[in-house]
Amino acid sequence: MRRVRVLIAKEWEELRKIKMVIYGALFLPLLMGGLAGFMVWQGQGLPPEAQAALFNTALMYFLILPVMIPVTLAVYSIVGEKEQGTLEPLLATPLTDWEIFAGKALVAVLPSLVLTWGVFLLFLIAAHVILGGIPAGVLSVPWLLSIFVLSPLLAVFGVLVSMLVSSRTSDPRAAYQFSGLAVVPSLIPLIAYSIQMTAVNLLLVILEGGILVVLNGALLYLVVKLFRREEILTRWK
Amino acid sequence: MIRTEALTRRFGDRLAVDGLTLEVREGEILGLLGPNGAGKTTTVRMLACLLAPTSGRAWVGGHEVGREASAIRSTVGILTESPGFYKRLSLERNLRYFADLYGVSSPRAAARRYLERLGLWDRRTDAVATLSKGLRQRLALARALVHEPKVLFLDEPTAGLDPESARDVRRFIGELTSERRTVLLCTHNLPEAEELCDRIAVLRTRLIALDRPAALKERMSGGRVLVELGNPRPEFATGLHLPFVQRASLEGNTLTVEGANPDRDNPTLVRRLVEMGAEIRSVTRDERTLEDVYLSLMGRDDAAG
Ligand SMILES: Nc1ncnc2c1ncn2[C@@H]1O[C@H](COP(=O)(O)OP(=O)(O)O)[C@@H](O)[C@H]1O
Ligand SMILES: [Mg+2]
Repeated sequence: MRRVRVLIAKEWEELRKIKMVIYGALFLPLLMGGLAGFMVWQGQGLPPEAQAALFNTALMYFLILPVMIPVTLAVYSIVGEKEQGTLEPLLATPLTDWEIFAGKALVAVLPSLVLTWGVFLLFLIAAHVILGGIPAGVLSVPWLLSIFVLSPLLAVFGVLVSMLVSSRTSDPRAAYQFSGLAVVPSLIPLIAYSIQMTAVNLLLVILEGGILVVLNGALLYLVVKLFRREEILTRWK
Repeated sequence: MIRTEALTRRFGDRLAVDGLTLEVREGEILGLLGPNGAGKTTTVRMLACLLAPTSGRAWVGGHEVGREASAIRSTVGILTESPGFYKRLSLERNLRYFADLYGVSSPRAAARRYLERLGLWDRRTDAVATLSKGLRQRLALARALVHEPKVLFLDEPTAGLDPESARDVRRFIGELTSERRTVLLCTHNLPEAEELCDRIAVLRTRLIALDRPAALKERMSGGRVLVELGNPRPEFATGLHLPFVQRASLEGNTLTVEGANPDRDNPTLVRRLVEMGAEIRSVTRDERTLEDVYLSLMGRDDAAG
C-alpha cells in the first residue's frame, strides 16, 4: 500500500504539469457544474414540479463528470509512461503487478470522485441560494444512489476503458478520443429521460448499476491481465 | 551472485536466448557481448524478473528467478536500454520517486548522494526534459544505484552517447568495481567490454565463448602483417610458402599476411619477400584486436548454425 501511495503522489505531481489534464480535469467540472447551476437558475419562479424536472436534467451532468474526468487522467498517466520510456524502469522496481494496476486506477478514480462530489456540493449550495431551498422529492433515494453509487461505478468504468485503450496506442489524442466512448453508459439515464420513458427512478438506477457492475467486472478481468509485466513489456504498443 | 542454467526464451517461433548457462561471481563485471538481436536485453529482462524464461532456471543474489521475483527486484539495479524519466519532474524528484519505490529508508538522502556522485547536484531542480543525452544517462546510472543494489544490470550504457559522455560513463562504471557490486554489462562495443570487464561472454542467441578478454584474444592468437610494396606482384602472395602463414592476399600495393606472429615471424617474412624480389616500403603489424576475435567467433557461429 505504501508503494501505491508513492506512485499516486508522483502521478499527481506530474499530471498537474500537463495542460490537457488541467483542462480535462478542471474545466469540465466547472463547465458541467455551471450548466447545472444555470438550469436551476432558469427554474426560479417555476412551480416545484417543473423545478424538480430541471433538477433531474441537472443530475445527468453529475453522471457524465465521473466518467470524463478519469479518462483524461488515466490516458495521460499511462500513455505518458509509454511516451517517456519509463515503463521498464518502473516495472523493474519491487511494485507488484497488482500495485501498478491499482495505483494507475486510483490515480484517476480518486480525483474524479472528489471533483464530482465537490462540484455536486457546490451545486446544491448554489441551488439552495437561488431557489431558497431544494424542492421536495429531489434528493430522493434514486438521486442519492445515482450520485454516490452510480458515480463511482461510472468512474471505475471510465478508468478501465481508458486503461484498456491506452495500452493499445501511444498516441494520447487517439487514446483520449476512443476512451471518450466510455461516456455512453452515463448517457443511458439521459436518453431514458429525454424519450420520456421515465424520470430518475429506482428501477433505472438499479438497472444501470447492474449493467455497470457486469461491464466493470469484465473489464477488470481484461485490464488486470493487460497489466502484467510480461504483457506490458511485450504486447503493449 | 548470478547463475543461469540452460536459460531459454522464445518469442513465438523465434528463439531469443537459447540454453544460456553462465555464472557471474560476486564483485565481478561480466560483459555480455553480442550484436543487435543477440538476446542481451532479453537475458537481462529475464534476470530482472521482467520476462519469464521459456525454460531453464536462474538465480540472482541467491534468489530464484520466477519464484522470488520481488526479492530479486529489490536486490537488483537496472539501467535499461532506453532509460526514460518523467521529463516534467525535476532530477531530484525522479530519483526520490524510484528510491521510494525501492523502499529506501531515506529517499531524499539517497537521491542527494547519487546526484552529487554523478555531478548532477547543481541541476537537481531542473526538469529532466532539459538534460542532454549524456547527463540523462548519468541520471539513469544514479537511478540504477539509488537503492544500493548488490547486482547491477547495465544494458548498453554508452549506446548513442557522444564520445566524451561515453567516456564519463565508462569511467564511472570502472569505479563501481571497488564497491563489490556484481555487474552484468551488455554491450556490442568491444573496446568497452575489453576495458571494463573481468570476463566476457560472447552471446549470439547461444553462448559462444566465455573468458577473460586477454584469454579470448590469446585463444585466437596470430596477428596480421601489412606489407606495402613498391612492385606489387601476385606471386608475392601466392608463392610465400612459409609455415606460419595462414593466408596472404594482395590488394593494391598492400600485401596482407595472416597468421604471423609479428615479433617472431616478421624477420623471416621480410627476408623471404626480399629473396623473391619484393621492394618493401613498409611493414606494419596489424595485431588482432578483440574485434577480430569477436568477428571470427561470430563467423564460426554462422558456419555452425
Ligand atoms: N517483445 C518481443 N517480441 C518478439 N520478439 C522479441 C521481443 N523482444 C526481443 N525479441 C527478439 O529477440 C531477439 C533478441 O532480442 P534482444 O534481447 O533485444 O537482443 P539484444 O539486446 O542483444 O539486441 C531478437 O531477435 C528480437 O527481435
Ligand atoms: Mg538490447
